[in-house]
Formats: sequence, C-alpha cells, structure tokens
Amino acid sequence: MEPTLQSIIDQKSLRWIFVGGKGGVGKTTTSCSLAIQLAKHRKKVLLISTDPAHNLSDAFNQKFGKDARLVDGFDNLFAMEIDPNGSIQDLLAQGGESAEESMAALGGMGNMMQDLAFSIPGVDEAMSFAEVLKQVKSTSYEVIIFDTAPTGHTLRFLQFPTVMEKALAKISQLSRQFGPMLNGFLGAGGQLPNGQNIDELIQKMEALQSTISEVNVQFKNPDMTTFVCVCISEFLSLYETERMIQELNSYEIDTHSIVVNQLLFPKKDNPCEQCNARRKMQKKYLDQIGDLYEDFNVVKMPLLTDEVRGKDRLEMFSEMLVKPYQPPE
Amino acid sequence: MPSLLLVMFILQTVLHIINTVGASTINELLWILYNKLPTPTSSSAQRAQTLKREIIRLKRELATTSPQDNFSTWAKLDRQHNKATAEYQKLDASLRTHQQTFTSTISTLRWLGTQGARFILQMWFAKTPMFWIPAGWVPYYAEWILSFPRAPLGSVSINVWGIACASMLGLVSEAVAASYVLATKQPVPVGGKGEPMAFSASAEKSEKAGVEREKEL
Repeated sequence: MEPTLQSIIDQKSLRWIFVGGKGGVGKTTTSCSLAIQLAKHRKKVLLISTDPAHNLSDAFNQKFGKDARLVDGFDNLFAMEIDPNGSIQDLLAQGGESAEESMAALGGMGNMMQDLAFSIPGVDEAMSFAEVLKQVKSTSYEVIIFDTAPTGHTLRFLQFPTVMEKALAKISQLSRQFGPMLNGFLGAGGQLPNGQNIDELIQKMEALQSTISEVNVQFKNPDMTTFVCVCISEFLSLYETERMIQELNSYEIDTHSIVVNQLLFPKKDNPCEQCNARRKMQKKYLDQIGDLYEDFNVVKMPLLTDEVRGKDRLEMFSEMLVKPYQPPE
Repeated sequence: MPSLLLVMFILQTVLHIINTVGASTINELLWILYNKLPTPTSSSAQRAQTLKREIIRLKRELATTSPQDNFSTWAKLDRQHNKATAEYQKLDASLRTHQQTFTSTISTLRWLGTQGARFILQMWFAKTPMFWIPAGWVPYYAEWILSFPRAPLGSVSINVWGIACASMLGLVSEAVAASYVLATKQPVPVGGKGEPMAFSASAEKSEKAGVEREKEL
C-alpha cells in the first residue's frame, strides 16, 4: 500500500476520523496536519480534542474552547477542546437555581448525588460524547477529526455507544414497566424533585439513545469512519498499536493507516553515535511494521529539528502526509 | 421373554456397576462416545479438541518468541492465538449447554432403565413366585420372610431375589477387587520386633573393610 494518507483525503464519504496512539508520539501534530490537508479538499472541517491535556491550543498558538472556533488563517477549519471533567459541572450548572433549590431540599443528599455522578466510570466520556453530538447535529461539518486521549481512554470512548445502548435499553424498559406506578405515587403531575416529569425524562433518554445508536452505526461503517494509528518506531509504542488495532477490530471500527513519527534520517557520514544507534533500532521496528501491516498505509514521518507549532510549520509538516518524505542521502 | 430370575440378576448387576463406577463418570464416557458417533455435536466437539491443541501450541510458540526481536512474528502468533481462543470459548460454551441437556436426558433414561424397571418389575411380579423351596427346609417364619411381601408362602419373592442378587454381587466384587490387589501389589516387608534381619555376607565384609580402611587412614 502507498505510504501516504492520500486515500483518506480521497475518500469523500468519510465523516469521522479518529487519531490515536500512546502519549507523546505526536497525535496532536498528526491530527492537526491531517485536518489542514483535509481542509484543502473539504468544505468544512472540525477538529475536536477529547484529550484532557489539551494540546490543540499549543499546536495552533491560539486559544480554543468548548465551542467550535475558526482556526486563524483558515476559512473552513474549526477546532474545539472538550474538557471531560468540565462537562459535568456545566450540566449541573445548567439546572440553575431550581436544581440548586432541589439539592438544598434534599439536604446532604444533593452533594452525595453529585459525588456519585462524578464517580460513575465512563461518565466523563459520556458527557464529552453528548457535547460532540450536540455540536455536530446543529452544524453541518463534512468531516470531523478526533484528537483522542492516549490509548486506554480512547477505546473506552469508542466503546461507549455500545455500552450506553445496552444500559439505556434496560432503563427505558424498566421505566416503562414501573413508570405508571411511580406516577401514581408522585401524584397526577408526576413531578420529580427538580421539576421534571418522568415521561419527559424517558422521552429524552430515548431520544439520546436513538442518536447514539445512529452514531454507532456510522462508527462501524468503514465508508464513514476510520481510525488513524500514530506510533513511533519503538517496541512499546508498536505493542500498544498492535493491541489497539486488535481492539478496534473487535469493535468493528475500520483502520488502515499508521503514521510512524519521529524517524531519524542521519546522513551517511554523520558522526553522531546516538543518532546512528537510534536509527538502527528504528530501522529494525520499521521492518517489523512493514512485515506485519502489509495492507496498511504506513506513513513515515521524519523527526524535525524544530518544534512543529503554528500554522506555517504545521502546513509544511502536513505536506509530508501526502507526499512521502525523501530522506537526504 | 427370558427368565425373570435372569432379568432381575442382570438389572442388579447393572445397578451395581453404576454405583461402583459412578454416575458422572458414565455420563462423561457416554458423552465422549456420543461425540464419536456422527451426531450433530460431533463436528464442533472435534473442532474444539483441535482448537485446544492449537492454542497450547501457539502458547508455547509465543513463549519462545521474543516480541522485542521478532515483533511481527510474535504479533502474528498473538493474533492467531486470540482468534483461536475466542473461537474455542464460543464453541465450548455451546458444547457445554449441549452436554447439559445430554446428561439430563441420559440420567432420566438411566433411572428409568434401572431403578424404574426394578420398581415396575417388583410391582408387577409381586405375586409371582421366583422358585419354590422344598417344604420343610426352613421354618415358617423364614418362609414368611422369603415370600415377603406378597408371593405365595413357600416360594421366594422377587424382592428377596433382588436383595440376594445385590448382596452376592457385592461380595463377589469385593472378592475380585481384593484378589486383584493381592495379585498385583507386592506386599511391603515389615520386620517385626525381635525378628532377625538378614544381610548378605559380602555387604558386611565390605563394610568391615571400609571401617578398617578408615582406621588405617
């Protein structure tokens, strides 16, 4: 397979692109570069960071928030950063005074409920997911690129629709069975402490479920979703990549590209001992990658002498995603 | 219709064998045999067996391959291993449910064929004499017991015949087991107190020689 990401850019039906890998291998740089390349061929591109340690702002030298903001110097590239922890606080704050009143009415229980809500595993991802859905539904982006958090986190996030679907199916079934009884207890209005109606709540949940299952179907469709694995030519990174690819296969999420970052190309007569030794090691793992991932687009990116930050540097770097880098002799 | 005496004897033999070997062992044996026959589960059982062997082979190979030196070989093996394990687990689960139904069916059939058959025979032929005892051989109360519960006085009832068969079988099997043990296992010689212990002369000599040599040294 050709050693570029041209196939992703040519595949116009793609709607979701995930970029993931171990920490510190250049996920953010790669996702920004990919976004820049895509922006040249698509009408509207959105770049989302779900990593709690946000780097988009660093990469573009521009402050991003949880609303999509236009990236300076582009007219069709937007970026946003989702803070998984912030979302819950926002949600609680959205309830406003009525929520606070009801919390007060519950006494100590309110705080307890809050703590409980925070401690549910995967709830932060759930919130960021809901946030993304809200954004994506309201505006029409042609393609959305996710700059994901390091491996473990990413996979939980991707698995989430399946888990959520199961849980929601159970909840709505239960509430359909016991709803009338609960309403009988709570009186004709069926008012819950924070002024919500049970039926409304169920309806909301079912709406959320249908959105999620829709997105789930899209994630499993190789025409609409792909995952770009980023790694460096080292054992642990390679090991994590292999694990990730296996796991993605089990979730039926398509992946056919690997970006190998930070490769050294020292000149023949280079006296730097470390560089040559490292080059030898990288070469070994590169050969293994070529052997193992025959049917993948393996993109080899060089280690540059300066930091890849700012629009111009990123643009230059992104060129190498589509035109293979020619190492100097 | 074979002789009722023989039927009862065979029934008791089968019951005795089942009790000695154990019902679960017989169930498992039958399950293995069932899978050897061209039955619906036989192909998946064979597949599970080959997968099991494959998994063990792959595990061994994985252990001998260094992921640092031969990552691609190792990863390919790992993929095969994961695939085989997943398939095996799926097959195993479905086979297990099949086995459960099989076991319960077999247990029911076995019960009907042995205990159930015995009960029915005992009910049906309760009034039939197995054979007659010559008059005056045993006193009246013994005759009464032998004909218990409903056979005509002076004959042996089916129940008593069954009990007699069972106790005979028990005795015979014990005797067979004991003689087998006697024949195959070497008795451990245990020297009693005060019994002279035999040593070969040459051993003693060499020992003495050894002592002398030590003295010389």
